Amino acid sequence: MKVPIKTKVNGKLYEQEVEARSTLLDILRDELKIKSVHRGCEDGECGACTVLLNGKPVCSCLVLAAQVDGAEITTVEGLLKGDELHPLMLAFIENHAVQCGYCTPGVIMTAYYLLNNLADFTDEDLRRGIEGNLCRCTGYIHIIKAIKAAKKCKDSGNWW
Amino acid sequence: MEERERRLVSGKGFYVDDIELPNMAHCIFVGSPYAHARIKSVDVSRALRLNGVLAIITGKEVAKLMDPLPATSNYEAIGWHWRTPKVYPLAVDKVRFQGEPVAAIIAEHPYIALDAADLIDIEYELLPPVSDVNEAMQPGSPLVYEEWEDNMQVHLEFNFGDIDAAFKEADRILRVSWHEGRVSGFPIEARGCVASYDRITGMLNMWSSTQAPFLGRQYISSALRLPTNKVRIVVADVGGAFGNKLNWWKDTVVGLGSIVTGRPVKWVESKRELFLTGSHNRDVTWEGEVAVKNDGSILGVKAKFVKDLGVEGTNRGSAAMGIIPACCSVPNAYRLFKGLKIEACGVVTNKSPYCAYRGYGKDKGIKFMERIMQIVSRELNIEPEQIRLGNFIQPHQFPYKQISGYVYDSGDYPAVLKKALKLGKVDLWREKQRQARKQGKYIGVGVAFMVEPAGVAAPHCIYGGLTQARVRITSDGLVEVENDQTEIGQGSTITRTKVVANILGAKIDDIEVKRDSSDMPGSGVYSSRGAVYPTGALIRAARELRVRMIKFAGHFLNEEPAHIDITDGVFHSTKDPTKRMSLKELADCAYFRPGPRGLPHDMQVKHEILLDVSASWFSPNTAQNPTSTYATYCSGADIAVVEVDVETGAVSILKYAHVHDAGTLLDKDVVEGQIFGGIVQGIGEALSEELVYTRSGELLNNSYTDYVMPTAQDSPDIVMGHIETPSPFTELGQKGIGEAPVITSKAAIINAIEDALSPFNIRVPESPATRERIRRWILESQEG
Amino acid sequence: MRNFVGLRAIPEMEYHRPIALEQALKLLSELKEGCKIIAGGTDLVPAARRGRMSSSGHIHIIDISSIKDLDYIIKEDDMIRIGAVTKLSEVGASTVVKEHVPILAEAASQTGSLQVRNLGTIGGNLCNASPAADTAPPLLALDARVNIRGIDKQRLVPLKEFFTGPGETILAPGEILAEVQIPITEPTAGSCFIKLGRRNAFTLSIVSVATLVKVKDGIFDDVRIALGAVAPTPIRASKAEKYLTGKKVSEQVIDDGAKVVTSEVKPISDVRASARYRKDMSYIVTKRALTMCFNGSQVTSFAGKG
Repeated sequence: MKVPIKTKVNGKLYEQEVEARSTLLDILRDELKIKSVHRGCEDGECGACTVLLNGKPVCSCLVLAAQVDGAEITTVEGLLKGDELHPLMLAFIENHAVQCGYCTPGVIMTAYYLLNNLADFTDEDLRRGIEGNLCRCTGYIHIIKAIKAAKKCKDSGNWW
Repeated sequence: MEERERRLVSGKGFYVDDIELPNMAHCIFVGSPYAHARIKSVDVSRALRLNGVLAIITGKEVAKLMDPLPATSNYEAIGWHWRTPKVYPLAVDKVRFQGEPVAAIIAEHPYIALDAADLIDIEYELLPPVSDVNEAMQPGSPLVYEEWEDNMQVHLEFNFGDIDAAFKEADRILRVSWHEGRVSGFPIEARGCVASYDRITGMLNMWSSTQAPFLGRQYISSALRLPTNKVRIVVADVGGAFGNKLNWWKDTVVGLGSIVTGRPVKWVESKRELFLTGSHNRDVTWEGEVAVKNDGSILGVKAKFVKDLGVEGTNRGSAAMGIIPACCSVPNAYRLFKGLKIEACGVVTNKSPYCAYRGYGKDKGIKFMERIMQIVSRELNIEPEQIRLGNFIQPHQFPYKQISGYVYDSGDYPAVLKKALKLGKVDLWREKQRQARKQGKYIGVGVAFMVEPAGVAAPHCIYGGLTQARVRITSDGLVEVENDQTEIGQGSTITRTKVVANILGAKIDDIEVKRDSSDMPGSGVYSSRGAVYPTGALIRAARELRVRMIKFAGHFLNEEPAHIDITDGVFHSTKDPTKRMSLKELADCAYFRPGPRGLPHDMQVKHEILLDVSASWFSPNTAQNPTSTYATYCSGADIAVVEVDVETGAVSILKYAHVHDAGTLLDKDVVEGQIFGGIVQGIGEALSEELVYTRSGELLNNSYTDYVMPTAQDSPDIVMGHIETPSPFTELGQKGIGEAPVITSKAAIINAIEDALSPFNIRVPESPATRERIRRWILESQEG
Repeated sequence: MRNFVGLRAIPEMEYHRPIALEQALKLLSELKEGCKIIAGGTDLVPAARRGRMSSSGHIHIIDISSIKDLDYIIKEDDMIRIGAVTKLSEVGASTVVKEHVPILAEAASQTGSLQVRNLGTIGGNLCNASPAADTAPPLLALDARVNIRGIDKQRLVPLKEFFTGPGETILAPGEILAEVQIPITEPTAGSCFIKLGRRNAFTLSIVSVATLVKVKDGIFDDVRIALGAVAPTPIRASKAEKYLTGKKVSEQVIDDGAKVVTSEVKPISDVRASARYRKDMSYIVTKRALTMCFNGSQVTSFAGKG
């Protein structure tokens, strides 16, 4: 069965017909060609497919595509300003928080949400906040460091 | 610089799953729900009728169209008890582990292939499974391979020095037993590849998530009966590997699928498939005795080492070979060994194939030794660091030939350990430990030390020490770099860029590391070899290229090469600052204007007209000392402070310190990133990660839900220190480090738990030390 | 046994998205067979991908997640009402919930991960009827009721009668759990939620416990203990509650009371924990939770950290 849906993905409006059994992850990757959203466990356990759904991080593997009719979705592609990387992305690079890169877009989306929604935080808050993003390369230390560095960018107005 | 990272943060990755080719089909594997069964029939007719299914390959086809999977190592020829099975990537007559692929479906869409999976009718005759290694070793046990008389695939004896003398001189003999649970790396991206067969050229092009494309090509072409030059593998971005991407048995079927259908075929392994069909690691048991003097001197170790290989350890992966470094690594950093004798058994069971996972084999011997150290420390009531300091090989003794034959290149083990003790504030924590005990709290301080053999070159196997690098200046003055140091997230792109930029004097942004592929002969990354072998080749190539560049530049600038230097991509005379030319200008001169006709005469005569150099590297250590299978031997010390909640068994990590000596550091950030990640993997292994099989061979936890890996909340802050003792055997003094941290962190955590529980007089017998197990050990100690 | 496949495709199905409860109920009564209700999808989608959604016959997915009149948290005089499709993240963050029933806020915040809580709903957490559902113990301890709606009827059922077994509830075909009602208890009560899993975070409970204690003149006046993951359904430990009620508060009494819990739990052994450990931990966490009810703070989060 095909279901018509309208979405706004990274600021762009889409109207499409999706298979009822497709997940949001499926249509983002296979139809909209947004490849930053990674197929991880497809179990809701690893967070590699994290996107912002109406501003909040969710595992896109757990959502049926049909369910997002009318929703706004943001992925790392949506944080770019043309070719310019978001300060949060630069913080990840500068702090060596990108190793294999497979978990990275998901972690960045969670971190983006946390930074925009927590006025202040401790390391422990950050560790709690990204508990749903498994990373097997970094031991999380450089990721925490990168998010803290990004906070400084945000506080100094270097943010969007 | 950081072009790769810029791509990866912004969604421009090129992972296997991102690849889309015109007309591409999709492959899935259909496996057995049973661990041990004879296949009576496979009927694919219903599945083939499903719209969108293109082809179904079964064991019958592979047995006809393919050769059996090649052995990655075979020591039968040199007289060892070493068996290799005849196996295919799809089960032909019987299945030997739960999930073993029986058929591969190729369809227009992955969902169609999955829909078809239930339409394949397979009739099985169940056989008694054997999933317990001890049962598998009993006479009369069900046979995994009926053509063998028992389940012992590999049976070796290691006997170094004089074991009888060691035990005769000992004041005390202590028994030690230690088991490590079955675990694996389980990167967030599982395996996968795309195969595209060109019927006109007969060329099979593949894109793969692999650590070793050249070895993969060898393996795949052998199984598919193709000449190696008809298979080319390009490495996609790799979403983590850790040894798990050092096998290609399923890739052969994907290749065959493309040949059969004439269409590009993509296979992206699901996480559940990765869990169930491997590859796995650890699952070893040591039973042994240690001979010690009352002052803590370790004189010898006698042990039996049993490794549960799963279905086999030679063809789908390289499990059996890991036994060798496991046994040879036991003496670790200690100099007083008089004898070492180990009986090693590699046993097959009805479990998933076993291959590499960070540590591979060496980790097992080192952890066993570090458990011995802990036990000796307790039994003799000498602090664990003192025992180690008393046994350490001393800084003046290098190169040091260890009793097992390894020749340790360099190091300052006392300095490494002392620095770790300081960073870990061990004295302070021991005081806190005393105070806490009075309040009924159980804090423990764990110490672990390791010497990690890194960079293997072993005979009679695919891990022989092959490497090649190529560095060239393009006609527009950029630098292209290529070697077999596959980027798998360890940071080899950045490392290679920096190494070459430093040697050539080129601008870092002018360096391009080419996408890894099977074009470069070399065995890829594993065994912590990246910084040793491929980097060695790269340094040699870059140095040679630099000589040539300087010579060319001197020629064009009319200056003696001895007075030419290059910085930031600009050549200049050290005598006459007006004599300058950029790398781009030099390239133009060398290639076209004037071109080869204008090059120095002697270079024309020697045919050295290109700014393009290839080089290899082989460990001088191994060359000079054939028993020293590894090139370098880094060292490291870990201090873990834990608190055990004795009511629940929960462990909290209060402090973690790590000090490392990887020789000359090529890139501190890269090294630290790897170490942090490795430490947390080791913590996961120590506390919660374990693959649990039932007696009938069913894997109970085949997902991240129940295979419990550390989240950010389970991972500690880590204080890290470095000591740099250059290796005399490598080009820049660098040493391999990749696998090291996962080894010591596990041992340090286990030792810390044991220390915390010392009032209960508990010896931690196995890993992981789960909450439930810790609670059980405490209750058992109280009961009796 | 079915062939092994890593992940299965979600079966072909028909998707319905009612925007009002009445519309959903009407769909359920018209379609009858093969209807599955989806809200957050955090349980249903993985189950489907594990091949646990039968593909025999036609499947209708009724998506109730966008029914606005099931998405609310309202405080009335003596009760908090939460619509079934209210996200767990909203329950956890709600100031009303945090102020009046902090154990529920805590349990909701410890369910899954941030990404899961932003999808998962309180109704879904209950209807999925996992013995380990984290919101169940606090709701049981709070004597919550669920409002179940059918096409022309509704019934208000105490939560403790709602669960009938693992994955099973009293919901009849055509019914929807519409609302959770939580009576507000006196603020003098101390309450606590504790969850023990296999790691510190984002973990399935091996045992979870919610306690709520009222004391009058040093005597246990009202004691409520509810546990998850230690029986076929989340349970109230009524024997232990009875044991404690009327007794003078002391460490010893708490310990004895917590021990009674072990006679009430009926845990299973699985890959996550053995029955023995679950039983043992029922005692330990109950003891801790009861003790913490006296420690001033209303709620203490615990995930294994000593």
